[in-house]
Amino acid sequence: MKAVIKITSRVTLALIVILLAAGLRARAVSLLPPDYDEDDYLRAGQLYAEGIRQGDWGVFLRENYRPEHPPLTKIIYGFALLTVEPAGLVPEASVQAGINQDLPAEPLHAARTASALINLLEVAVLAMLNPLAGLFLSFHTFTIKYTSQVMLEGLPALTSLLVVVFYTRFIQSGRKQPSWWLLSALCLGLTAAAKYYFVISGLAVAAHWLWTTRPERSTWSLKRVWQWAAPLLVWGGAALLVFFAFDPYLWPDPITRLRESLFYHGEYAASAQVREAGLPWWQPLNWLMMSVPWHPGVFTISIDMLITILAATGLGRARRKYPVYTLWLAMGLAFLLIWPTKWAQYVLLITAPLSIAAAEGFKAHLAEPFWRCIQSIRLKRRDKSPNERRAYDRPRRVLPWLLPGLIILAVISVFPLVYQAAMAMTDFQASAIKDGLNGGVFREVWQGISGQVKPNLAALDDGRPAKVHYIGLHLVNAILFNSGETYLFEFFWTVLAVATQLALGLSVALLLHRKGILFNRAWQALFILPWAIPEFVAALAWSQIFQPRFGFLSLAAKPWAQQVPEIVNFSTGWQGRVDLALIVLLVAALWYGFPFMFLSSMAGLKMIPAEVYDAAAIDGASGYRLFRHVTWPLIFPLLIPAIIIRAIFAFNQFYLFAVMTPPMYTFAAGSYIIFSEGNYAVSAGLNLVVVLVLILLVGWFNRMSKANAGVTDA
Amino acid sequence: MPRKVSARRHILTQLALLVVAAFVLAPLWGLLRLALDASLHGAPTEFRLWPLEPSLRVFADMWKTPSQSLSYLGLLRNSLIIAGGATLAAIFFGAASAYAFARFRFPGRQGGLFAILVGAFLPLVALMTPLYLLLETIHLRSTMFGLILVYAAFNLPFCIWNMRAAFQSITKELEEAAFLDGAGFWQAFWLITLPNALPSIGVTALVAFLMGYSEFAIGWLFIERSSNATLAMALWGVRSLGAVPWSQLAALALMMSLPIVIIFLVLQRALFDRLNFADLKS
Repeated sequence: MKAVIKITSRVTLALIVILLAAGLRARAVSLLPPDYDEDDYLRAGQLYAEGIRQGDWGVFLRENYRPEHPPLTKIIYGFALLTVEPAGLVPEASVQAGINQDLPAEPLHAARTASALINLLEVAVLAMLNPLAGLFLSFHTFTIKYTSQVMLEGLPALTSLLVVVFYTRFIQSGRKQPSWWLLSALCLGLTAAAKYYFVISGLAVAAHWLWTTRPERSTWSLKRVWQWAAPLLVWGGAALLVFFAFDPYLWPDPITRLRESLFYHGEYAASAQVREAGLPWWQPLNWLMMSVPWHPGVFTISIDMLITILAATGLGRARRKYPVYTLWLAMGLAFLLIWPTKWAQYVLLITAPLSIAAAEGFKAHLAEPFWRCIQSIRLKRRDKSPNERRAYDRPRRVLPWLLPGLIILAVISVFPLVYQAAMAMTDFQASAIKDGLNGGVFREVWQGISGQVKPNLAALDDGRPAKVHYIGLHLVNAILFNSGETYLFEFFWTVLAVATQLALGLSVALLLHRKGILFNRAWQALFILPWAIPEFVAALAWSQIFQPRFGFLSLAAKPWAQQVPEIVNFSTGWQGRVDLALIVLLVAALWYGFPFMFLSSMAGLKMIPAEVYDAAAIDGASGYRLFRHVTWPLIFPLLIPAIIIRAIFAFNQFYLFAVMTPPMYTFAAGSYIIFSEGNYAVSAGLNLVVVLVLILLVGWFNRMSKANAGVTDA
Repeated sequence: MPRKVSARRHILTQLALLVVAAFVLAPLWGLLRLALDASLHGAPTEFRLWPLEPSLRVFADMWKTPSQSLSYLGLLRNSLIIAGGATLAAIFFGAASAYAFARFRFPGRQGGLFAILVGAFLPLVALMTPLYLLLETIHLRSTMFGLILVYAAFNLPFCIWNMRAAFQSITKELEEAAFLDGAGFWQAFWLITLPNALPSIGVTALVAFLMGYSEFAIGWLFIERSSNATLAMALWGVRSLGAVPWSQLAALALMMSLPIVIIFLVLQRALFDRLNFADLKS
């Protein structure tokens, strides 16, 4: 009975998700304007449809328009086009051609619908697996866009998911039902026949199989290794057969045609078109951190960035619950980062496992804590024994102590925060300063919130308004959800800055924390020197080293300027390149920040009792093993507060950015620059983001340090 | 502490430390070599490790006229007034609240502590816009007093947080003994807890002071009268000149750092032990 209820509720949930997804896709199918490549695949479909209509089945052997991509999806478009009246054949066009705007409406709609239906199937499969993941996939705007147009991603996205679904089924059956194994191989073949790079999910399956069934080193023998690899070979061979069977274009001349179509992609990746797009290697992360930026009004829900962030937080849990999917996500992302072609549709390769990780992240970090919070409120009892009431426990007594500080805090920090929130709901800028000083901000926001004025978005187009206007949450939304690149930069910046500082600080402390090191005190004094120097001066000192034209480094490298490889050439304008700028900033931040980590590490190392080392020495541990198994586990908990403090400082880093003028900014530095340009409202909005992120970070800080010492409870 | 190291390892260790030392000293030497070179007028055009024309002339120039209207000492005075005033205000107004959070139990204590911790981590820039407008309305924006208010506001949460930890590390029993002798909270605080916590408060004050001393961004936006400029602002001013005189910039940067480096070296021990942002010793 219970099982029936469980299945029914799961099916109902999945149905709701599917209905939602269907609505979103139907909208996209009819509203999206024609895009690049749609004309090509529509033409390919038309060629097949024409052949089928005339009973000429040889068309499948003859035709594969755009032969670099295998034909399966195009064949499906061919069958879909049978449902509508034939229209004039879409003309041939070169790869570099622009968008063909006048595609025949009916065939376009039919082919798009076919693609969207296939994607709907993918959502359905995912929703049966994990309803929340299905929901995220149904919202994902890049997935919607590229499966609601005549593109090739819809089918392989479905089949590559099925590869993993069937494989996990096989694993769950205790590897006893080979039919799942073969079904998985079948789907892998279909995937390859639809679009090559989606086979990465198959590679994840293979890697997982090889790792989990690997024989013990001691039992290695030819027979054992054969037993280990044979199932995989059968699987791969079956997939290859299926691929060949569903790629009829290969039948007449397999070797040449396969080689041509495979080699095309390597050449294309090195072609001028890809190079001129000038997308950086981390562009896939940028795509993942934004919703589709084109076609305003088509996608009603744009939460792609949220999905990615949730996925990042849910990775740990997903790794345990969905190991193969997580492996797929990791390998897919690695492929996207390495492969030189960076088109947006490539992210569809991983949106299914991404949604699963996001669902786990949502459950682990939002749903379950919320649920626990509700329960704890319900269960909380006030236990107050009279003995507990001591001299200090009288609320009225505390007021005179608190008031002076609290009043000042209220005037000079709480009020400003409220004011910022209000400002972010207006278009306040320097030209309206008179109105703003006379209470314009509060007037507008009050009228806006009480419904007397509507958000005045037209005011945003006015270059220099003399009055403040209410614009509602437009700006806050834009900053919160459309600054994916800045979040991404902040994330990498913070993590790398703290990691490098910790590594150097701890290493130096470990070197010095031994008996009989000469000049110990002198070294210590020297290594805290950077800490004593104002960050501003530190930034100046490093900018005179890295300055592209007259800096120490570029002057030193001048004689060899031609030989220095592009990738590390700091004399050719690193200020225009995010990756080089990040390295420069990290070096400067390392210099300024490692002394703090050094001090904290020294303090921590002093607290590890000598007996621990003696015991380890008796067990014969030394060098790296001593560090890895004795020192690190003992010191890491002690360093958590220092790590989080440095992380927060890095997140807020300001002077370094103000002096170095890199191409990317932290929120704090960006806010300052925008403020000095006179755009007060945007600056205030950025500050709100900073406050929000800080609340999260400090909450985390509190939890982490409570776990081992207690910060607010100390 | 792990055992003594062998001679070979010791040499390797010293070499590794030497490399780190070079990393620490390289940018400082870069500044010094620029500042000591009297032959430079704009940017350096050739690579050298040693100044072409070693002289202290640039330092002397910067001593006399680092900015349009003030000498080095004048700027230093402004810096001391602003950073010192802000520190005193933050310590003075923060001490009572810190004591309340350290000793009393009252509703909203946990929430208050959390808010103060968030406040302590807020970047200065986050409060800038409203404070600019607030000070503009009461005509204090371009004054030193206004800047003192801003820096004090920024320092207050940090000071409360740090002093709270200092007060907490002093046992309650001392105070409770005083209560038995008939003392009130005020006397207990003033005569027992505060004197005992003075070293930690001193360190807190030093950190707060350093913030005000090296801050230029807010001052640069708020202060228009050049007679109210601080050292950090003057340094930013030199940097913002059309053609940056690298020697002067470097000399002034070193002259600005020197007082603080001296303070740090003197107080090194105390800093090692007492900067308890989160209690590392717990």
